[in-house]
Amino acid sequence: MLATEAVLRFEGIGAPWRLDTPEPLAPPTVAAVRELVDRYDRTWSRFRDDSLVTRISREPGAWRLPPEAEALQEIYEALYEATDGAMSPLVGARLAALGYDRAYSLRPSGETSPVPSWDDTVSWRGRDLATVRPVTIDVGAAGKGQLVDLVSDLLVDSGHPSHVVDASGDLRVRQWHRPFRVALEHPRDPRRAIGVIELTDGALCASATNRRAWGDGLHHVLDATTGLPTASVVATWVTAPTALVADAVATALFFADADRIPYETEHVRMRADGSVDASPGLEGALLR
Amino acid sequence: MTPRLRTTAAPLLLGLMGIGALAGCSAPADTGTDDAGSNDTSETGSEGSGGSGEYADGTYEAEGEYQSPNGTETVGVTLTLEGNTVTDVQIETHPSNPNTKRYQGQFAEGIADVVVGQNIDELQVDRVAGSSLTSGGFNDAVEQIKSEAAA
Repeated sequence: MLATEAVLRFEGIGAPWRLDTPEPLAPPTVAAVRELVDRYDRTWSRFRDDSLVTRISREPGAWRLPPEAEALQEIYEALYEATDGAMSPLVGARLAALGYDRAYSLRPSGETSPVPSWDDTVSWRGRDLATVRPVTIDVGAAGKGQLVDLVSDLLVDSGHPSHVVDASGDLRVRQWHRPFRVALEHPRDPRRAIGVIELTDGALCASATNRRAWGDGLHHVLDATTGLPTASVVATWVTAPTALVADAVATALFFADADRIPYETEHVRMRADGSVDASPGLEGALLR
Repeated sequence: MTPRLRTTAAPLLLGLMGIGALAGCSAPADTGTDDAGSNDTSETGSEGSGGSGEYADGTYEAEGEYQSPNGTETVGVTLTLEGNTVTDVQIETHPSNPNTKRYQGQFAEGIADVVVGQNIDELQVDRVAGSSLTSGGFNDAVEQIKSEAAA
């Protein structure tokens, strides 16, 4: 490890973040990172009274979304299709009904309304969203990954081409000077790892149902076709060029096999019975 | 290495959510005491709620119905309690939904190895990926639920 490596830690969107760079970040860069993360939270957190998605959840209407909405819409639509509607950004109300609500009540409300179907409820084209009734958007399956990418891009633009952005479960490594080694924690035994993945450039995102993956509550793996947490898969790890793709596909793999998913990724997946499958590129990462 | 915060309360939470949601109760979930509606609840081991502040170890089962876009689905939920903590939650679905059926079938047919793994302490790694940290607010709420559930 280089003696000059610098670390920045902070809390963002309800999770601890850690940024590693060979050289310390200047105060204006730190401020820009914090502002970027806060702005994303003010838009997409359904846990804030003042967020855009909270406004959208209150009444039907038409909204102009920020630029990052385009990539979110594109990947959510592709994976909604690939999973036959199981992975949906419209699970927010259902998650809240299950207790993942703004007050962290953690209690089911008893409301059993199904997750609204995309086509019947919303028209989402890039940055333009129109709804016919109140819907609670939840981008928890891809949002944190996207924010990791945005922070990573900001670091590049600020003169830090080499870095690691870690948002607790979503990781982006860029031009790192040595292989960055990540253990894949066994979902049933946190003292053990079922594999080790090495990255010098790329993203790795993990998703597990045994614990919450996103401190802000935006990620709990819910099957939109049943309105219930999924049970067949207990953990996934996905590598991809971007954290957005790795994060979203990590959730999609709870509902569909990799051959149905239209993104180039590698994965490791553990099912509820403890069995593990891996794509060819990550077979060698497993510790059998 | 990122400090990792672990809680055994998250499975408890899932249990509370699952039972309450499936039972369709409108009141706060009471673990193991939910006898609302048409739910058929059976237990092995005795409940220790009702003011004793303790839950007996054991396995608690409940059947529930819920409305899916494809109609009524039924599920079975099994909670395992050890030392006042839910250590295991099994949700068994009985899908009429063809999508659910198909995926369950695929998973059942899948042949894959069990990976034993290695102790993380024996591996030289920069980070561990799997159980993400949770926010303070969430953890506070879990603690509150735990205390109320045992009260």
